Amino acid sequence: MTNVLAMEQVSYKRNLKTILQGVDLTLATGKIVGLLGENGAGKTTLMRLITGSAKGQGSIAVCGDTAMAQHKRHVSFTEQLRGFSANTKVERVVNFYRTVYPDFDGQRFEELVTFLQIDTTLKLSALSKGMKEKVIIALTLARQTQLYLLDEPFSGIDSMSRKKIISSILKWKPTDATMVISDHYVSEIAPILDEVVIVKDQAIYAHKLSDEIREDYGIGIEAYYESLYEGGVSHD
Amino acid sequence: MEFDDKVPIYYQIKTYLYHEMIIGQLAPGDKLPAVRQLAVDLTVNVNTVQRALGEMITEGIIESKRGKGNFVTMDEQRITHLKEQLVMEQLERVYEQLHALNLTDEEIIASLKRYIAQRGQQHD
Repeated sequence: MTNVLAMEQVSYKRNLKTILQGVDLTLATGKIVGLLGENGAGKTTLMRLITGSAKGQGSIAVCGDTAMAQHKRHVSFTEQLRGFSANTKVERVVNFYRTVYPDFDGQRFEELVTFLQIDTTLKLSALSKGMKEKVIIALTLARQTQLYLLDEPFSGIDSMSRKKIISSILKWKPTDATMVISDHYVSEIAPILDEVVIVKDQAIYAHKLSDEIREDYGIGIEAYYESLYEGGVSHD
Repeated sequence: MEFDDKVPIYYQIKTYLYHEMIIGQLAPGDKLPAVRQLAVDLTVNVNTVQRALGEMITEGIIESKRGKGNFVTMDEQRITHLKEQLVMEQLERVYEQLHALNLTDEEIIASLKRYIAQRGQQHD
């Protein structure tokens, strides 16, 4: 089995404050990985380091490629559509994606738009929270890459949207691609995760197979995740 | 389908498929849905479905035909055996719990009969 991601001793500071310190993380191809941690634990920073939008210390190889400039080619990450003004229509964003990413598959995007019932004539400012996440998922999955990153796609959205998003991940994630989904609340996605990576104390605190947690400890992913925090408290 | 997060998902997928076979929803020789379709239907990971199916192939409950997909075994004895096995597993649980209450074998049988009789009346 080959690795889609290999991070070695990666550290990142912002304004003299250490966000991540000595991160080692290896991910195999074809997995769905839950990236868990409290708000501010550094989950988004980790994703930005992987794509190369944030620069830190240490080595990061995506598909064996350590050159940062190449990372965006291998990784599909739609960061909250921050770069676009609120007046932009969804279809303009789609055109931008089509132009910028040669791997953007228009056919796949149309399938996703139909499945998720997205109205591409709407302006970004007119999108509900759930609809905005759906647009992000459609844009992210329409690219044909080896690594997909989704940053808290389920925070603050209704359960119907959540179910649709989970289905679209299961339907459209290419078999040999790996997807990392960050969340601070795991139970809603626990059944679809191959493995979980827990970010805590500025590092990768745990990296385990989901079914191994259930088999070895007889507890759920949520309970395991919470136990790490409770354990941390009692040691203080 | 609702999963119990404390039990390995691949195990729950197997239990679900066994159940479908025993009640005849999946008959001997039936083709199983494609792996990805099963994953979407059950809202689980493709790899987890593959692990469940892999174990069921090893057990001989399903047969994988190259390029055609996975099929429920034609060997009806295996299905009968599977049913027996699942029934025994359920009974084991009940038996152990009743035993833990210091019931003798005779008392267990008697209470089971009483329970079934009561259930019968409720449904009338």
